Amino acid sequence: MSVMSSIAPPQVKRLTVAQGDSLASSDPGVIFTTVLGSCVAVCLFDGSAGVGGMNHFLLAEPAPIANEDTRLLNRYGVHSMELLINEMLKRGAIRRNLKARIYGGATMRQGLGDIGNNNIQFARRFLTNESIAVLGEDVGGISARRVEFRPAAGLSRCKTVSTRPVERVIEISPPAVGDVELF
Amino acid sequence: MIEEGKMSRRILTVDDSPSMRMLLRAALTEQGFTVFEAEDGVDALEKLEAATPDLVITDINMPRMDGFGLIEALRSGDVRAGLPILVLTTEASDEKKARARSAGATGWIVKPFDREKLGAAIRRVLH
Repeated sequence: MSVMSSIAPPQVKRLTVAQGDSLASSDPGVIFTTVLGSCVAVCLFDGSAGVGGMNHFLLAEPAPIANEDTRLLNRYGVHSMELLINEMLKRGAIRRNLKARIYGGATMRQGLGDIGNNNIQFARRFLTNESIAVLGEDVGGISARRVEFRPAAGLSRCKTVSTRPVERVIEISPPAVGDVELF
Repeated sequence: MIEEGKMSRRILTVDDSPSMRMLLRAALTEQGFTVFEAEDGVDALEKLEAATPDLVITDINMPRMDGFGLIEALRSGDVRAGLPILVLTTEASDEKKARARSAGATGWIVKPFDREKLGAAIRRVLH
C-alpha cells in the first residue's frame, strides 16, 4: 500500500434521510443530510463505538390519552426513535452512551397548528424518558433547515435555507399498522 | 372496556424503552387490563412470580436477555409453561418471526401497535 493511499481521505457518501427514515452508520465517509420544515430530525451518537444515526419524522396524531405520562408521547414518534436506536445498537452502539441533538420543528405556514412545536416537544420528552442527554438543538422559528451529520464522528451542521421542503402528515391509522399474527 | 363480573386480566410488558412501556400501559389500562412492567428478559423473569401475569408482551431487541431468550426461558420452566407470549417488535423479518414461533411464542405483532388490534388479540388469546 502506498503512503498516498494510506492517508487518502475516505470517499464521501452523502445519504439523504427522507421523512420516515431512520439511518445509522459507523462509516467515516458517510454524511447524512436532510432538509426540515415542521419535521424534526434527531441525531444520536455513541462516541465510544463511533456510531451515529439520524431520523426524520413529522407527527400530527393527537395525543391519545391526555394524562401527564402520555400527553406528549406519540406511537409513530416512539416507533421512529426505536427504529433509530435499534439501527445503532446493531452497529455496536450502547444505549447508555447515546447523546442527542434535535433539529427542525419550524412553523412553516399558518393552518398547520402547532405541529412543529409538537414535534420538538415529543423529541424532548422521549429523550428525557430514555435518559438520553441532549447536547444541543436548533429548533423552532419560521425557516426550513438543512442538516448534515457525520455519524462516525458525531459532527453535525445546521443552517437555515429558503427551500420549502415537501412534508406530508403521517396517516393516523394506516390499515397495516399493528397487524397481529397468532401462531 | 372492563367486562363486568370478571377480574382484570394481568399483563406483563417487557421492553427496554420506558416510552414504549408508558404507551403500552396507557393502551392496556384503558382497556381494563392490569399492567406490570419489566425492562428486559432478566427483569421479567425476576418479576414473574410477583406479577403472576395471564399474558406476556415482549419486545425482541433488549439488553441482558432479549425476547427470544425470555420465550425460551419461560417455555423451559414447568410452572408457567402455558403462559401466552405475544411478541411486539420493530422486527419484520420472516426468519425472526419463525424463530419466535419455534421458541414457543403465541403471536407476533409489528410496531407501531394499534391499541384496538392489540386489545382484540389479547382478548382472543385469553378467551
